Amino acid sequence: MAALTPYTFIQCPCSDSSTLGRPSDANPAANATNDDDEEADEDNRTFDPRAPRSNFSLYPLEYLLYCEDCHQIRCPRCVSEEIASYYCPSCLFEVPSSNLKSEGNRCTRNCFQCPICIGPLAVTSVETKPDPSLLAAPDNAAAPHSGPYALTCSYCHWTSTEAGLKFDRPNNIHAQLTKLRNGGLTRLTARERRERRKDPAYRAHLAAAAAVAVAAASEDVDDVEERGRGPGIEEKESLDVETQFANLKSFYQAQLANPNSSDTGLTGLGDLGFSSPTSLSRIMSIYTGGSLRDKKAKSRVGAMREALDADEGFQPARLDESAAIAALQAHGFDGTSSTAQLAEQPVNIGEPAFPHGQAHFASDLRPVPHLLRTKRSKRCPVCRHIISKPEAKVQTTRFRIRLVAGSYIPSIAIRPLALSPIPNTSSSFSSTSAPIPTSTSASASGPAIPGALLEPLRPAHFVLTFKNPIFESVKITLGAPAHTPGRFSSKVTVLCPEFQIDANTDVWDEALKEGLATTGGGAASGERDPRERRRRRGGTEDGSQSGINPTTQLEVGKIWERGRNWVSIVVEVVPPSLSTLPSGGGDSGLPLQEDEDVLEIPLFVRVEWEAEMGGDEVGSVMPGVGGSKEKGEGREKRELAYWCVLGLGRIRR
Amino acid sequence: MSSRRAPRGEYIETDTGNKVARKATLVGTQNIMLGGKTVIQPEVMIRGDLIRTAQAPSQAAAGAAPNNTAVSIGRYCFLSRGCCLRPPGRPYKGAFTFMPLRIGDHVFVGASTVVQAATIGSHVHIGSKVVVGEFAIIKDYVRILDGTIVPPHMVIPSFSIVAGQPARLIGEVPEGGIDAFELRDLYKTVGNNPHPAPV
Repeated sequence: MAALTPYTFIQCPCSDSSTLGRPSDANPAANATNDDDEEADEDNRTFDPRAPRSNFSLYPLEYLLYCEDCHQIRCPRCVSEEIASYYCPSCLFEVPSSNLKSEGNRCTRNCFQCPICIGPLAVTSVETKPDPSLLAAPDNAAAPHSGPYALTCSYCHWTSTEAGLKFDRPNNIHAQLTKLRNGGLTRLTARERRERRKDPAYRAHLAAAAAVAVAAASEDVDDVEERGRGPGIEEKESLDVETQFANLKSFYQAQLANPNSSDTGLTGLGDLGFSSPTSLSRIMSIYTGGSLRDKKAKSRVGAMREALDADEGFQPARLDESAAIAALQAHGFDGTSSTAQLAEQPVNIGEPAFPHGQAHFASDLRPVPHLLRTKRSKRCPVCRHIISKPEAKVQTTRFRIRLVAGSYIPSIAIRPLALSPIPNTSSSFSSTSAPIPTSTSASASGPAIPGALLEPLRPAHFVLTFKNPIFESVKITLGAPAHTPGRFSSKVTVLCPEFQIDANTDVWDEALKEGLATTGGGAASGERDPRERRRRRGGTEDGSQSGINPTTQLEVGKIWERGRNWVSIVVEVVPPSLSTLPSGGGDSGLPLQEDEDVLEIPLFVRVEWEAEMGGDEVGSVMPGVGGSKEKGEGREKRELAYWCVLGLGRIRR
Repeated sequence: MSSRRAPRGEYIETDTGNKVARKATLVGTQNIMLGGKTVIQPEVMIRGDLIRTAQAPSQAAAGAAPNNTAVSIGRYCFLSRGCCLRPPGRPYKGAFTFMPLRIGDHVFVGASTVVQAATIGSHVHIGSKVVVGEFAIIKDYVRILDGTIVPPHMVIPSFSIVAGQPARLIGEVPEGGIDAFELRDLYKTVGNNPHPAPV
């Protein structure tokens, strides 16, 4: 089982319709002021991280934005996005939106992906192709190769010659590819097709081909019937999707323009004529119930016929699959294309044998032009202010506006706490230097190693470190249910549910202060300070622990560590036993479900601070949080409250 | 900790703040440029000997001093244990030649990773056991997850998260995640007298 690194997910208020757009909701605020952990239970609004709905509202802090005008967290799901620019991820050229309409959402330069493995394709010469990567550069003058070129994948060594695609020129591959069919045949544009049909030589050629086909494929009954009935020339002509659509569209438009076309070729739609107002009224009367005028109308409306030949967009269904069956027998299942490969293929790829990109075999797959990517700016869904706006230029990575939640709400870091005899080694602090030795820090109170399994029914301790990003000191009030929701309920005790974090002051100020404090310390820096403070702390034992070093026991209501702009507190959890099922539960007989052994704690966080009064929001805020601000200094009390989920670890089964 | 450390200190710390492990293998050091504050952990190999043999025509004509930089690394880069930086090579004007490998600032290269890219931008996180193919171009703020194989000549645009074999785009770096690429704090945690990581 994969080790689980502790995580913190924060719930976006957009999932709760009652708090949307109302940052100072009175309800959770009233609860959070109760100093006990039970408040969430009392209110009956305990957040269940395992509820199916929670999946969609929990995000890591990095993914969340913050609207400064609404004073609320915004998640990727609730912000509205606006596309700033389109660009190709391979050549990094920006594509103007006007080109997008005419040429689609794929790169029209030489950027192609391998249809087999999606690796990038390089243009190589077909003549000398020892190593694709060696010849990939266009300025390669070593072998003055002319001749046909092919696209080659340097990852899986697929080449476009496998689909019969060769190119005359090494540049402008996209234009060449649109004119090429698999097997090297040229694909005609509509005008070329029309002109070719007038060519007598082509007609003779087609007729001869049809005759050969009739002689050869006499076993296919459908095909023969069709050929006997039809004119034989146009029907054999296969159209690609775009041409067929264009033909059909023009045909139907002509039909609509000519209401009483008596040329009843196929009576697919019977007597329905869509063009005239009378038929429209007749259709309406069908739905409204009145059917009196039907017969009268019927006689008047001319029938609308269906397409008859390729010029009109008619394509006979390809029912002869013997070739596909033979190929399947030859290549086996490995030769077929996977769903993922088909999904990568663009729809209008211009191969008539599989009109919607549904190539059955991997050898039929065509190179995939790169899909364009976008740069997007994001707006608050409530007040429509922009909360994230990147520079439109593709190559720049700067943001004009970037209001991320990480610079407004405290971050929560989780670290397992080993109440071992030697807890003050620096091992748990230096993350990169060495792995923590397992034998020395084995303790009675939970895993010292991050990611280790939690022992059922034995209390484990975790240090939660809250770091304040704003330049005001904040007051944090935590609320967690005493028992986590779900089938297997863990006991949770937040040892210090209410504390104050100092402001995120200037680093300079702090350095100066430090210099004054540690005059004779030498190497002792500010980071060692809190540990010493902790070591000095004395008091009574917690009671639940046995054999703890008296210098490091836990105290209810006391902060574990404190730093410049951060505070660490301890949470004690008693994981349940996953083997003994809880009694009385209706679903107690069910087997353990996926990730049900992960210990997740819902935690309600309420942050209060005093902030400078913003100039434009005086009017709107005053009635809302009235009474709690001193008008003379222009400061106001702010608060933000949200649920978050702490994933602590997996419980041993 | 101190008992395991070599008596002279595990790292050589230069004036510009580079911390180069004594056990790292740097071949052709005169062709390796370090921008400063870069950490090179033990068992890292940098192939500075694979220099460009064919000069660009403009340089040869002007008679300028040949630019022999094989690997150039910016500031605050972190090369983890056992990774390998190797300039990419290809035939050019009839002869096989290597091309320089350029790495920007704040680039983390994970353990046992092989990098043969042409260019790596700034603020890039490359996980462990990754293979970056020849002449790949990785732009800024890219995260490459562990075990990824980036095929040769692939271009990874900014703010991409890629994974898989071959590498494919699996996500975008969120707006709030771009501060996580900073390696200043990580730089302080290694060296001969490391500081503990800040909270």
